[in-house]
Amino acid sequence: MPWNRPLIIGIILLLLALGWLRTNSGETDQVRRSQLMMGTIVEIVASGRDTGQLDAAVDDAFAEMARLDRLLSRHYQDSDVSRLSQSSKGSKVAPETAEVIALGLDVARRSKGAFDLTLGRLKILWGIDQENPVIPTPAAIAEALEGTGVQALSLEGLNLIKRSPQLMVDLGGIAKGYIVDQAVMVLKKHGITSGAVNAGGDMYLLGQHPEHPWRIGIQHPREQGGILATVKVRDMAVVTSGDYERFFEQDGQRYHHIFDPGTGSPARDCQSVTVITDSVALGDALATALFVLGPEKGLALLAEYPGSEGLLVAADGTLHPSPGWANYAGSP
Amino acid sequence: MTCSAVDAEKLALARRQVFLALFIALAVSLHILESLLPSPVPWLRLGLANVMTLTALYLYGGRAAWTVSLARVGIGALLLGRLFSPGFWLALTGAIVATSVMIIMHRICRRYLSPVGISAAGAAGHALGQVLAARLLIIQHEAIWQIAPLFLFFSVFSGVLTGWLATVLLQRLGQHPAFQTAGVAFDEQAGKN
Amino acid sequence: MKTPWQLMTGGDWLVVLTLLGISVAGIAWLAAAPKGTRVVVTSGDQTCFVAGLDQFHSVDLDGPLGKTHLVIDATGAHVTSSPCPRKVCISMGPAKHSGDLLACVPNRIMVRIESPANEDVPYDLLSR
Repeated sequence: MPWNRPLIIGIILLLLALGWLRTNSGETDQVRRSQLMMGTIVEIVASGRDTGQLDAAVDDAFAEMARLDRLLSRHYQDSDVSRLSQSSKGSKVAPETAEVIALGLDVARRSKGAFDLTLGRLKILWGIDQENPVIPTPAAIAEALEGTGVQALSLEGLNLIKRSPQLMVDLGGIAKGYIVDQAVMVLKKHGITSGAVNAGGDMYLLGQHPEHPWRIGIQHPREQGGILATVKVRDMAVVTSGDYERFFEQDGQRYHHIFDPGTGSPARDCQSVTVITDSVALGDALATALFVLGPEKGLALLAEYPGSEGLLVAADGTLHPSPGWANYAGSP
Repeated sequence: MTCSAVDAEKLALARRQVFLALFIALAVSLHILESLLPSPVPWLRLGLANVMTLTALYLYGGRAAWTVSLARVGIGALLLGRLFSPGFWLALTGAIVATSVMIIMHRICRRYLSPVGISAAGAAGHALGQVLAARLLIIQHEAIWQIAPLFLFFSVFSGVLTGWLATVLLQRLGQHPAFQTAGVAFDEQAGKN
Repeated sequence: MKTPWQLMTGGDWLVVLTLLGISVAGIAWLAAAPKGTRVVVTSGDQTCFVAGLDQFHSVDLDGPLGKTHLVIDATGAHVTSSPCPRKVCISMGPAKHSGDLLACVPNRIMVRIESPANEDVPYDLLSR
């Protein structure tokens, strides 16, 4: 048959070529993907031998993050947070929401209110996400702060109870961290042992970067593109909160998105805070609390969490590391 | 009054016009049919319409090939609603380069090549012409040349395919008396111009 | 009907094999060549702009809100104007290290710096 021979040779060559391309990944592959979600860039890195497994893991991780974001963000009408804010006495929430709130309430207690889950109305008042934010009057601030605080919210099982009807919960200082933790669980479930999930600077480092422990640069709060310090970590969370991420300036004063629950205005004692701890949710909440408390009280609070370290940059630019910070800091 | 149908030259010329029009219609139909089929990359098509360009080239010469290929690109784009779209300019540039290459090869190496080889060369020209147009119009960066080798690779296969189809078509057409005189008439015509 | 390879003359084979040879060589050369540091811009799932970090570029990137303007110069890749409300993307400053990311979240534009694996970067990820 004249058809057969060259055709068969051609097909065999094609199959060989395809086979060669597939098996060329005998070495470790790294999958690095980013998506815009939760109002920031979320980047997931995963290393392993099987690209198919890595891709599937990263897909699932992003999907889980999107699902949890719908549940915990106040920007969605049907999220647990929005429903709670719209209710007068409280509502039943999903187990994940309850978990986040339980952790948040614990940090709120231990930080004596420096970390606060109930500032929803305050954040809307300042409109830090809007085009033309306006500095609210002291009266408006006082009104927005009414009913907030550590006592304002309590959790019984899956039932969340509000002290005052107009209270609005905002999980912005902890939800992102929790969602990152869950994404890491998804990666682990897929058998990934080396990877990272980074949501706009709040991240968890799983295992180590294939060749060495993860090197994490910490943004300098005042120098664009500058690095304050580099830390080397494995299986830890690194969270940074700074006054340079979302802010506007008026009359020489910077108004940023980390509020002091006591004054209802942006906290003034720090430029940035970095926390290294074992969960991103905790790191997120602690970083916010430390930012509000300032270097002295902040480091005191951090000491109550053994195994967690932090670096506070005070408002005057001086660096205040926790006692064990040097264990992680690779370079000055 | 003589019957103009008997005048061999005029008859051949009329035949040429009619058949070129038919070839253009066929080429446009093939082009549209191809555009309806799924393809991994939008511009990566078999280029079956090129069969008609090749046939016109062999039967009626270079001018005829230009007529069929340019008309096919224009009318095809018009009917598909893509006139003057970026894809149109890519197709046009590809067609211009391909037709030029095929005409040159036909003039120089007709003795050594069958339509298959000329078509392969034409297909290569088409691919490179498209990449060139993409570089100039769509992605103003040298990175676009990176897909050129891949395009070239696949174009050779589609060129062989269309060349083979053209050969078969030419063989069949050559058996019909209507096409015997056409080639001769055109050469005379060309000689007069 | 004869198959294509029965019809092909010696000259045809010469043309076909030469073209195949050139294209395969090109593919192999490209696969082996080291790539320079690039700026990769995505809008949603699509890559809408790729350029080297070493050349000056000034481009408009289209998103649902409008055009975000990106400039690539000696300081890196940075956003100079954007239709978003808070202009966070502009305040993020220039991106020039491998792995650096910029984004205009409302306009769904993401800018990534990619470089070949053997480039020495000071850190793997940035905490900000």
